[in-house]
Amino acid sequence: MARLVSLLVGGAAAVLVLYPIFFLLQASLSVGDPQARPPDAYGLENFADLPRYSHIFANTVTVAVVATVMAVLFGFVMGWILSRTNVPGRAALEQLMALPYYVTPLMGALAWSLIGSPSGGFLNQVWRALGGEGHLIDVTTPYGIAWVMALFEGSVAFVMIGAVMKSMDPALEEASQVLGAGRLRTMLRITLPLVLPGVLGAAIFVFAEMLGSFSAALVLGLPSRFYVVTTAMYQLVSQYPPQFPRAAAMGVSLFAVMFAMVYVYRRVVSRGNYVTITGKAFRPRVMNVGRLRWPLLAVCGAYLGVAVVLPVLTLLYASIQRLATAFPRTGNFTLENYRTALSLDAVRSALWNSLLLGLGTASLGVLIMGFLAWMIYRSRLPGVGAIEYVLMFPQAVPRLVFAFGMLWAWLIVPIPIYGTLWLLLIAYLTVFLPLGLRTISGVILQIDRSLEESAQMCGASWSYRLRTVTVPLLRPGLIAAWLLLFIASVRELGASILLMGPGSKVITPAIVESWFSTSTELTAAMALLQTLAVAIALVLLFTVARRAMQHPGE
Amino acid sequence: MVGSGRKASIEVRDLVVRYGKVAAVRGVSFTVAAGEHLTLLGPSGCGKTTTLRAIAGLEQPESGEIRIDGSPVFASSPRVQVPPEKRGLSMVFQSYAIWPHMTVFDNVAYGLRVRKLPSAEIAERVRGALELVQMGELAARSASKLSGGQQQRVALARAFVFSPSVLLFDEPLSNLDAKLRAEMRLEIKELQRRLDITSVYVTHDLEEALAISDRIVVMRDGVIEQMGTPNEIYDLPRNTFVADFVGSANLIRGRHRPDLERDGLVVLETPGGDIVHGTAHGRRVGTEALLSIRTVHVRLSRERPAGALNVWPATVRRRVFQGDFTQYHVDWSGRSLVIREVATDPLAEGEAVFLIVEPRHCVLLED
Repeated sequence: MARLVSLLVGGAAAVLVLYPIFFLLQASLSVGDPQARPPDAYGLENFADLPRYSHIFANTVTVAVVATVMAVLFGFVMGWILSRTNVPGRAALEQLMALPYYVTPLMGALAWSLIGSPSGGFLNQVWRALGGEGHLIDVTTPYGIAWVMALFEGSVAFVMIGAVMKSMDPALEEASQVLGAGRLRTMLRITLPLVLPGVLGAAIFVFAEMLGSFSAALVLGLPSRFYVVTTAMYQLVSQYPPQFPRAAAMGVSLFAVMFAMVYVYRRVVSRGNYVTITGKAFRPRVMNVGRLRWPLLAVCGAYLGVAVVLPVLTLLYASIQRLATAFPRTGNFTLENYRTALSLDAVRSALWNSLLLGLGTASLGVLIMGFLAWMIYRSRLPGVGAIEYVLMFPQAVPRLVFAFGMLWAWLIVPIPIYGTLWLLLIAYLTVFLPLGLRTISGVILQIDRSLEESAQMCGASWSYRLRTVTVPLLRPGLIAAWLLLFIASVRELGASILLMGPGSKVITPAIVESWFSTSTELTAAMALLQTLAVAIALVLLFTVARRAMQHPGE
Repeated sequence: MVGSGRKASIEVRDLVVRYGKVAAVRGVSFTVAAGEHLTLLGPSGCGKTTTLRAIAGLEQPESGEIRIDGSPVFASSPRVQVPPEKRGLSMVFQSYAIWPHMTVFDNVAYGLRVRKLPSAEIAERVRGALELVQMGELAARSASKLSGGQQQRVALARAFVFSPSVLLFDEPLSNLDAKLRAEMRLEIKELQRRLDITSVYVTHDLEEALAISDRIVVMRDGVIEQMGTPNEIYDLPRNTFVADFVGSANLIRGRHRPDLERDGLVVLETPGGDIVHGTAHGRRVGTEALLSIRTVHVRLSRERPAGALNVWPATVRRRVFQGDFTQYHVDWSGRSLVIREVATDPLAEGEAVFLIVEPRHCVLLED
């Protein structure tokens, strides 16, 4: 019985993932009428045609490489400072390092565009006021785009590299010193080789993410017609007439490259980790850096400053001005933008839709992904390894590319969900499968199997065990997964921008739309309102949940 | 009232359990009589825990048969696989598996609640069980705030409170420190007798096995090496492995000398030319044979005793004081023996001594 349910649910989830990918492949092979569904002729011409776009592929690689180098550098430096030195306030700083992730590349791009666009950027205004010529910085260049992406992805690299540095047995270094090697020699011969696989793994992971990233390149690159693969795809699909097959071919090639990267990443991680990750929690040896503590603290502050404080303050500053400028002027300040944003029906309904979708995705997602994670990592049913592989697939597919497949897949389904919030719900649940699974499985793997087995030996049936032992023990992981899914859904752009219909607008694409068609000040207000709405929703939910979840015995 | 459960017998026949390609258990058969306390003893990786888990239903064997009270709970053909929760057994886990999100009371009450007993009876029986393991006062405490020994006691109470027909123990004491382990060993023995229940106990600790079992099954590499009462296992090890694993033993190899035999003793001549008298216990003697002598069964004397068999001159090479006993490493005709004696009049290193072993303590091995 349990077996049948598991296989059905697992199978359904696998179909959810593979069905759109099938349509993506089908579209990429369509060489007849580009509008025909299903295609009336098949061939490889779309792929043969890709060299025409070689400059776009070159752009993508340039941006991704530069951004990866910067992000890994940020992550490595921050990881080293926060896990291996006695910099003041380490615990608090480590918590703060999550913030850049919550700022999102879109907000970063909007803010940095306000700061550093060549003509109107605040910094360049100041530069010219001080007597400078032209502009000091230009974020609309490939390097600017990479910079914005790296600020965001730096916190991801930090988490990955920091974990490796922490999980290293300090005795390995101490042994080297006891045997007579100096601090530098130990660093070069022991520490570095040990963390290298972890750093390499993080670099590959970040690079794959960069290849598929969308929002920063869209906001900063579109005005100057600088395209990367994802933005070019978006352009091909949203122009008239849309060029679906060509976009699909681009998506498939990006997917192939990312898939290879993720594969390499897994190989590196599984091979390299045996040295450092022994499953034990070590207290890493903290190096006394003496007076260097303060410069190192300044480095941490600088990263958080440019990745979090500066962007948020810039958006705030722009949002309370009639006409955004670097120099404050009385009479230019206003709350009109917020009033407008809140009174616009489109914005209100988009925000409401997003929160609703976030709630739905998180709640349904925790239920489904919790079950799937339990099935994959606990049930020992045959074939779960293959199911896991398929479910982790969306990790290797940029969300925009995935949404493209879904666009076609669900258009032909007789159920009228195309252009409704339901389609977005399905899309979110699919693309966030790896996120939810990874979060929940982390907790499942920490729970000793015998806790469930002992319930079984007490005579408890499958459902009774699940209710009384498994779910309560998983609660922290389930809550974390719920939060991540909620936040990720409300701020989703790549999939939403393709899949939302006129009656099912959501907030993040609405912000992008506003950026390109209305005023920057209004857009800044909208972006901040979105962040505020997420924060308020979370506080409310937490208060309610905490009251409801108090259980005896603690 | 706790412990009113009926006793059940267990039969395991030709059990084979495989993890992928590796056979963890390779054709194991034994029976546990109703009310008997059986121990599976062996080094790690010998298949003892796997066998126990197969009885519990937590592992799916490849072939063989397991019957509880005569009715099959697992059989390969026709296929029978009764899920663990329907076998009416109970188990104490190595990790205790105490649920950290519940109180002590809730942990113990779990099996009773599963059985939908009225809450008054649940309270009554949980209290009784906790009293029995001396945890009565801590019923309301959160299980996450217990020490290792306390968790162990709760795990015990939880396992027997619902009167299972069989109690399974998976190395329950291996995570405790030595002193607590000795204490709990006694308590478990006490509890077993008091509950009058069938039990199967898994351990790699010889003392534990000897102390609490009616019968011991020694396992290695997925097969049974020897089965018998604690005394049989200790006094009459069947082969080198058992002799070595079950307590420390000196092994003496020699050529069979039937010409010197009398009084039903078996006689070997060592490569050094010494003559050793031993007991065959009906085992077949080859031309080359092996005798096992427990380290505590060799006596050391400064003077040669008169007229005894198995008396040889030797030299004390090393003396190691170990508290309850002193361990001597003795050179005897070019080979080394280990001897443990309660230290009364310690011998000096380098001193010349006589080794004395009664022939009944020289046990012929089968290999």
